[in-house]
Amino acid sequence: MFDRPEWADPVAHYLIEHGLTGTLRIAVIALLASSAIGITLGTLMTIRFAPSRALIRLYVEVWRGLPIIVTLFIVYFGFPAIYRPLEFDPFTAGTITLTLWGSAQIAEATRGAVQSIPRGQHEAAAALGFGWVGRHVSVILPQATRRLLPPLVSLLIGIILNTTLIGIIGGAELLEAATRMVEVVNATPPAGFGDRGEFRIYAGVMLIFFLICFPLTRLSAWLERRLVRT
Amino acid sequence: MTIAVTYDLGAFLSENWEELLRGLGRTLKVSAIAIVGSVVIGVVLGAARAHRIPVVRQLAAVYVEVIRNTPILVQIFFLYFGLGQFEATRMEVFTVAWLSVMLWGGAFNTENFRAGFEAVPRNLREAGLALGFSRLATFLNVTLPIGGRIALPSSINTYIAVLKNTALLYVISYPELTTTAFQIQALTLETLEAWTVLGVVYLTLVWTLSALIRGLESHLALPGEA
Repeated sequence: MFDRPEWADPVAHYLIEHGLTGTLRIAVIALLASSAIGITLGTLMTIRFAPSRALIRLYVEVWRGLPIIVTLFIVYFGFPAIYRPLEFDPFTAGTITLTLWGSAQIAEATRGAVQSIPRGQHEAAAALGFGWVGRHVSVILPQATRRLLPPLVSLLIGIILNTTLIGIIGGAELLEAATRMVEVVNATPPAGFGDRGEFRIYAGVMLIFFLICFPLTRLSAWLERRLVRT
Repeated sequence: MTIAVTYDLGAFLSENWEELLRGLGRTLKVSAIAIVGSVVIGVVLGAARAHRIPVVRQLAAVYVEVIRNTPILVQIFFLYFGLGQFEATRMEVFTVAWLSVMLWGGAFNTENFRAGFEAVPRNLREAGLALGFSRLATFLNVTLPIGGRIALPSSINTYIAVLKNTALLYVISYPELTTTAFQIQALTLETLEAWTVLGVVYLTLVWTLSALIRGLESHLALPGEA
């Protein structure tokens, strides 16, 4: 049964072409959006103004606290029930969901990173005539980036792993593509191949994810070690 | 296009509370089994990794990396559908439910406990051995109580994640809380009420456990280090 089946090539091709591209597309957009929103919110959280702090804290705790699948159901089924125009296709709903989760993670990491920059840096930048925005964009955040790098790589791994949830609402990604292919392989000819594909196809999907995420995990660990050393 | 949105949480709860409570019960049951199992896996494999026990240590490393670097959803699919392909490895939904989240939690706990055991000062272990304790007795009496305490906050984080991951059992239709709420709203169309209940219940559980960590962190800090 471990001979190379006739369906191996077309299935692998479909997984890469339709599955992996979908996964990576969602992952890249969600990573960029999460970083932009997360870094902004995290920086704003360092301002000593109770109402804004409380609001951002609530945002972080809610989207970090909910299981992502529940957030996905809220965005995909709940939002349009509240307000009709908020009806999204699975791809958009999935990207929004991962962005809510990811930005919450990054906001928390950014807050810590910004607060780790010594007060003197703030004061020196202020003395040079920078305003609050200029001070953070040009002086504080570039220094905080070093500390932010490991959590950003971890976030990328987390986002890639969690893209599989989007298949649940019918979005095109690797796991959804795999499920389709299992159906094709298991269908009776001529529609399918009349074989059993579950074991080999899902094992293959695990392998693809492992090949992408394992190097990233190593990278994250290396960045972490380098940070501790300096 | 005006849609009459009726939102009646009270009516939703009074009609479905029994079913929702059964779902919550299953969520907690699966979580409890998985957490207990993940402690056993974590302590044994964490010790094997920290004390460099040959073969077990390498196998543990492979297990940890495979679980951490593949989506848990694919792991659930593999256990349920992939292994379900063969008569010999076919499992019931409930078995896959607790097994999948337990294996996931066990991998993360292996790392938590490994870090905890490695943080135990060398001289404490040497003192145990010098007193004539066997290696196992030294581990049980010295490394485990101290390292376990060091690992506690990070392992509670893993238990919170295990609890949240049970929501994914929706994909194999195990009737825990998320599946139950989903099925109710599919029938009654009370979408918003269903998601409100889910959100409130999960956040209450997760926030309570997080508060517990913060409490424990100060309470269990090793004397002389805090």
